[in-house]
Order: sequence, then structure tokens, then C-alpha cells
Amino acid sequence: MSETVARESQAEARPSDRGSPSLVRVEGIFKNFPGVRALNDVSLTIRSGEVHALTGENGSGKSTLSRIIAGMMKPDEGRIFVDGKECTFDSPSAALGMGIVMISQELTLAPTLTVAENIFLGRLPRTRLGIVDWSRLEADAASALERLDIHVSPHARVGDLSVELRQEVEIARALSANARLLILDEATSSLSEAATARLLERVRQERDAGMAILMITHRMPEIYEVASVATVLRDGNLVATVPLPSTTESQLVRLMVGREISDFYGKRSIQAGNQVIRIRDLHTPAGALRPTSLDVRRGEIVGIAGLVGSGKSEFGLALGGAIECVGEVEVEGRPVRLGDPRSSIEAGIGLVPDDRKSSALLLVRSVMENFSLAWIDRLSRAGVLDTRRERLDVQGAIKRYRVATASAGVSIATLSGGNQQKVVLGRTFMRQPSVLVLSEPTRGIDIGAKSEIYRMLQDAAEGGAAVIVISSELPELLGVCDRIAVFFEGRLEAEFGRDEATEEAIAHVAVAGARNKQRVVNRSEDRQ
Amino acid sequence: MTAVNLKEAVVAQHSREASPILQQILQNRYTGALLSLLIVGTIVAVTQPVFLTWPNLMNIVKSNSVVFVLAVGATFVVIAGAIDLSVASATAACAMVLGLLLVAGAPAYAAIPAAVAFGAFLGAINGTLISYFKISFFVVTLGSLSMFQSFALIANDGASISVFSSPGFAPIGAFVNGNIGPVPVMLIFDLALLLIAGGVLRYTAFGRALFAIGANTEAARLNGIDVKRMMLIVFIIAGLMAGLGSVIQVGRLTSASADIDPTLLLTVLAAVLIGGTAYTGGEGGVFGTMIGVLFLGVIQNGLTLSGVSSFWQGMVSGLILILAVWLGGLRQFMRRRKQAKVG
Repeated sequence: MSETVARESQAEARPSDRGSPSLVRVEGIFKNFPGVRALNDVSLTIRSGEVHALTGENGSGKSTLSRIIAGMMKPDEGRIFVDGKECTFDSPSAALGMGIVMISQELTLAPTLTVAENIFLGRLPRTRLGIVDWSRLEADAASALERLDIHVSPHARVGDLSVELRQEVEIARALSANARLLILDEATSSLSEAATARLLERVRQERDAGMAILMITHRMPEIYEVASVATVLRDGNLVATVPLPSTTESQLVRLMVGREISDFYGKRSIQAGNQVIRIRDLHTPAGALRPTSLDVRRGEIVGIAGLVGSGKSEFGLALGGAIECVGEVEVEGRPVRLGDPRSSIEAGIGLVPDDRKSSALLLVRSVMENFSLAWIDRLSRAGVLDTRRERLDVQGAIKRYRVATASAGVSIATLSGGNQQKVVLGRTFMRQPSVLVLSEPTRGIDIGAKSEIYRMLQDAAEGGAAVIVISSELPELLGVCDRIAVFFEGRLEAEFGRDEATEEAIAHVAVAGARNKQRVVNRSEDRQ
Repeated sequence: MTAVNLKEAVVAQHSREASPILQQILQNRYTGALLSLLIVGTIVAVTQPVFLTWPNLMNIVKSNSVVFVLAVGATFVVIAGAIDLSVASATAACAMVLGLLLVAGAPAYAAIPAAVAFGAFLGAINGTLISYFKISFFVVTLGSLSMFQSFALIANDGASISVFSSPGFAPIGAFVNGNIGPVPVMLIFDLALLLIAGGVLRYTAFGRALFAIGANTEAARLNGIDVKRMMLIVFIIAGLMAGLGSVIQVGRLTSASADIDPTLLLTVLAAVLIGGTAYTGGEGGVFGTMIGVLFLGVIQNGLTLSGVSSFWQGMVSGLILILAVWLGGLRQFMRRRKQAKVG
């Protein structure tokens, strides 16, 4: 009881009461994409001087909603009010005119232009003759950078800067545009811990100065550090808008997931057999992946964690033969020729790449052709297809992997993301590979499909495959893997057994490496 | 299931049951082209009674055989997601090789395979540069367009080669201009080519690989398709077709001309696109291409019959090309919207 009181008084101490005026309000937003309802009647109020966390699992509609508020996308239905007046944004610049600025996970800077040009992109100062006023541009940019304490030259080419500095430039651009609402879309996902702390400090300053901030993230510590209200989306529906910190973390997670985690992953205990794949010093010539060694046994599910750019996705691509690489890979004692997808497939490695649209789906073709693509060589004799067997095989696969589709003949684009992913996984499983490499296997799909995919990959492990799951979602790795390897700066930095793996321990290695682990832990103790 | 979802599911179910046949027809890739062909055919038939006579129809078939043969090759290339800009130039180059051989006294059974093989060789040059030197197909075939054209001019110093009196020409003339009863040999040849090409696209692993490459090259590669080799073969096929096309052209003109028909390339590509093959790759077929060729042929024939200046033909076929691709995009857009609602 006394705890509740303390929390409430803390909430009151924040400058942002729910009583402050509404800056932006969206009402009844609907948005459909082919095969998926992204937003279903979502309403939200964002107030000045308040950090509003927008959270939910991947694919819950967070990014879609923020893109609609930022004018980058039009809703199918629904209304947007700014300062109580209804607005229709048909472009990001219209939203910008209302003081709404978005910083997204993919940075939107022009890499070939200078820092100064990027800060004032689209609103370069001009002389009376209408040509760019370079000296004023430079002076304005320099003063904006100084005010924000960002140490970078206005002349520097953005493409030459580190990811973190680019983000700072992006923030400088947002703030110098007289932003009233700043939308941060997973802005910390590619930042180191120190840079994240700096960003959160800046968010706090701007909040106290009266800016409204909509923060899209699923990192709990960040939410609790700065936000005073959180809205949870699940599968495009608004689940709840709750005050913080009076809502506990586990309550919030339950709202996000909508069910208990334990039965969600359905982790089975599978007896590991003998070693199937032996990886030694696998690396890419350019250094995105530094020499990495790993062994995986039959029936084992090994997770690979790490930030964007840690080398974890290159590791998967290298195993699948999708990129040039050097090193030794043996499957069941036989060496694999690297850098060629066909020799990886023949060796028994099945790769499911992370980007479904760009590297897995034939979007204009049928479900059947998308399925049989993986074993088309086995369906043809002397180059001629056995279309009858193809149809039977695919119908069997649709049943076995529970793909919800009207028929095998319809375009794969008619399926939901989850069912598309089941096709991609299923076709890889059909060859019964002895090693499965799955990169972000549940990215952008709904909760129900996720659960089925966890079931599918455990079925494969039970059937004797060695499974490697590469994922940015720690909860899923913790939920299904027997051990977890963490990548940092291109290297396999640390390995955790199922019993010792915690979200915190893995995250620390992922953002700071194993050497810094001790220091990071100490600092978090200081904070408490 | 919430009430809203339920309601929508019912609506979707209802609209699906409303007119499945009509829906299917509207969404069929060939419907637009076929319908346009029927409309234009009807207009020409009503205004020009000569149109529907057997000799006139067969004339359309014969005079569009070169375009058809090249367009079949181009269909393969476009399905795989590329474009071959050099086909018309390659045809002229092959025609000059054929002409020189015939004039030199070579018999038809040697000259024809030589011309076709030369076409395949030109295609292999394109394909090798694109696949193994990783140069964009646009740049390579734009360059070879110019080089093959130049080759045709160099071959006989820019002059045409009359082959009418060459001993090897007689079988070629019989093949291209001859009839079996009332049926032109060319019609039989075109239909055979249509069946073979359609069969390859539909019932072979190679055909399936082309669709996969055109739809998503990276997905095809990651699933073990040898994309480089397939693209090489595709361009060799386009070259082979240019070689075959040159034989028909020489047969019809009774001479090998170093000058390239300036509208040939555009007509070939227009026929492929009007026929419903997506320029973005991964969709299409030779049946549609045949309709596209016939459509352009009928328009040309209709304009000629009604005495309209041939200068207008480019205007009409260009406009129709743009319209056809626009309608194709519109069809896709409508399909996507419908799917979004159902989902």
C-alpha cells in the first residue's frame, strides 16, 4: 500500500500530468496492408511536456501508427487532430509544418550531403535571389550543433559519420525544425548503452521544456526511465493506455503478449545427439564477421543474439552460402564449399533469410510455386516437371505446416505475414536439412503465427536437425533456445547456457562486449 | 472473432460468391489484351470487309512472323526480369551473315543453321557480360544494340545483299512464303514455336527458374538456382530467336538488308508488354505475347486497309502500349485492394 502511494507521488512529481493540453490526437485509425490488418480502430492522445511510450510486439502496428502521425502514410480511415483542429497530412512535410518530426530506426539522412545540409534539408536558407545562402546555412548549423552539445563539424559528410553521430545529426535536424512532437521510432535500437543514455537524457530535457515525445520501443528500462504514460498495441488493436510507473513491468508485458509467456514458446526438452555442424574461423573478407567458431549437435537449438551490425545476420548468410566468406564449415564430417548457396543446400544446410520480402518470397507467384521452389530439382526428371507430384507435395506441406490459404494456386501476396513465413520455413524443412539456420524467423508476424513457428522449429529439432536461430528478440531466444551465443562487433563474444541466460546479461554483452561486462554491471548497481 | 471481423468476413464471402467467373475473367492476365484484340478486330471487320478474308488474315500472320519470333525470345528475357534491347540489331547482323553465305553459294541447310548459331553467339556475348561480368543488362544490350547494328553495316559496306538468285535461297523462300494447301507454312511454324516455348515456360524446371528469378532474384539464388547460368541461357535464346527471325526476314524481303527496321525493337517489346508480361519480371507468357503481336498486326492492317497514312501507326501502337501497361497496373492495384479487404 505504501508502495503505491510512493509511486503516485512520484508520478505527480513529473511535470507532465495527464491534465496538460492535448497536442496531437488520433481517432479511430484503420490501416490495411495486403493480407494483414495493421491498425484496427486505434485512438491515442499525446500531450505537451509528456513522454508517451508506444509499445507492443513486432508487427503490432507501432511503426505504422507512428508513420501515420508523421504524415508518411495515410490511414484508410480515421482522423488526426493537432491542437484540437482536424488535419489531413498528405506528406511528411505537411506534418513537419505542424511541428511533428519523426526519427526512425532506419535513419533518413542523405549520406552524400554535409551535416549542415542535412540539418536544414528541405528548408535551406536562401538569399533574396532564391539561391542557397551558404554562409547563413553554415552559421545556423554550427549554432544548432553547439546548442545541443553535438561535437561534429557542419562540413562533415554524413556518410562518413558513425551511426551514433548520424543519429545526433538527425536529432539536431528535428530540434532545429521547431518540433513540438518528436516521434522516436526504435531510435535506440542501434545505439550503444552510452549513446542510449545520452539520448534519454536529451529526451528528458526536451520533455521538461514542454515538448511532446512519442517513443516507440519495446525496451522496458527505457520506458520506465522517461515515460509517464504507455499505450500498448497488439496485432493492430489498442490494448490499453496506462499510467507509468504505477503499471508494473510484468503487467505491461502481459498486455503486450496477451498471454502467459511460458506456454507461448512451448519449450520441450529434446535430447541432444551427436555433433552435426562444426564451424571454424568463419569470417567475411570485409570484416563484418570476424573469425567465429561454433559446434551444434543434433536436436539442439542454439540462439544467436546481438545488435544490428554485430555480425549475427552475416553469420547466418555465410552458413547459407549467400555471401562471400572464408573459414571451415563441416556438416556431418564433410566440408562445405563456402560462398555458394547450392553447395550449402547440398550439404544439408537450410537457410531462412531474415528479410522475407526481399530475399525469400516470390510475391507475384502462387503459394505452390513459392513452396516447391526449394525442391524443384527433385520434382523434375531430365528438366521436365512432374506437376502432379508437385501439387500433391505442396498440398501435403500446406496441411502439415498449417498454412491458412484459400488454395495452393492463389498468389502468395494474399497470405498474412505469418502464413507467408510458414511457407518459407516449410519449404526449407521439406528438404529435411540436417542444419537449419533461421534468421529473424518471427519478424513482423502476429502472435499466433509466432507460436506455431516455435512449434515448427522444435519439431525440426526433434526430428534430428541442428537448429540455429538468429534473432533480435531476446525473449524468443530465451524462450526456445538451449544455449545462446552473443555477437558483438563481428565476433562471437560470449555463450550462455539455458540456465545462466538472462535478458540483462545478454543485453550487456550485446551492447558493450564481454570485456566491459563487469563495468556495466557495476554501474547499474550504482544507479540503484 | 469480433463483430466487425465477422461482418467483414460475411461481406467478403458474399462478394466472392457474387460472380466468381466474371472475377476470374477480369483478373486473368490475358483478358485485357484479348478483349482489345476482339474490339479492334470487330471495328476493322465492320469498316473494312476485306479484313476477314482468308488471304488478308494469312497476310497478317506472315507479315508479323518476324516480330512474333523475336517477341517469343523477348518474353523469356522479360519474364526473367531483364530486357534485351539488341534483338533488332542482332537480327540485322544475322541477316547479313545469312546473305553473305547464300551469295557465296552456301546451301540452305548450311546457311540457315549458321545464321541461327550466329544469333546464339551474339546472345551469348550479351549473356556472358551480364551474368559473369556483372554489368547491367540495360547497359550491355544498349551497347550491343549499337555494335550489332554496326556489324551489319560493316559486313557488306552498308549495302543490301540480294539473295533472290542464289541457289540456296529457294528452300528459304518456300519455307517463308509457301503454303500447304490454304495454310501458310509460317502459320504452322509460329504455332509450333508457341507450343514449344509455352511448354518450356510451364512444364520445365528451366521455365520455373525464370519466373523465380524474375519474381525475386535473391530468393531464387538462395534456393539453389544457378541464376548466372539461367540468365546466360535466356540471352542465348533471345539470340537464337534473332537468328530465326533473320531467316524469315531474308525470306520475305528476298534480300539481306543492313538497315535495321527502326520500329522493330519497339514493336517486339510492345507486343510482349501488351500481352500481359510484366516488365518487372516474374509474370507473363508466350500466349499473351501472341495476342500482343496479333493486336499490333491487326491495327497496322486496319490502318493500311482504310488508307490511313502509315505515319500514324507509331502514334496508335505507342498509345496502346502505354494504355495496356497502365491497365495492367490498375488490374493489379484493384486485386491488391480486394485482397487487403479480405485479409
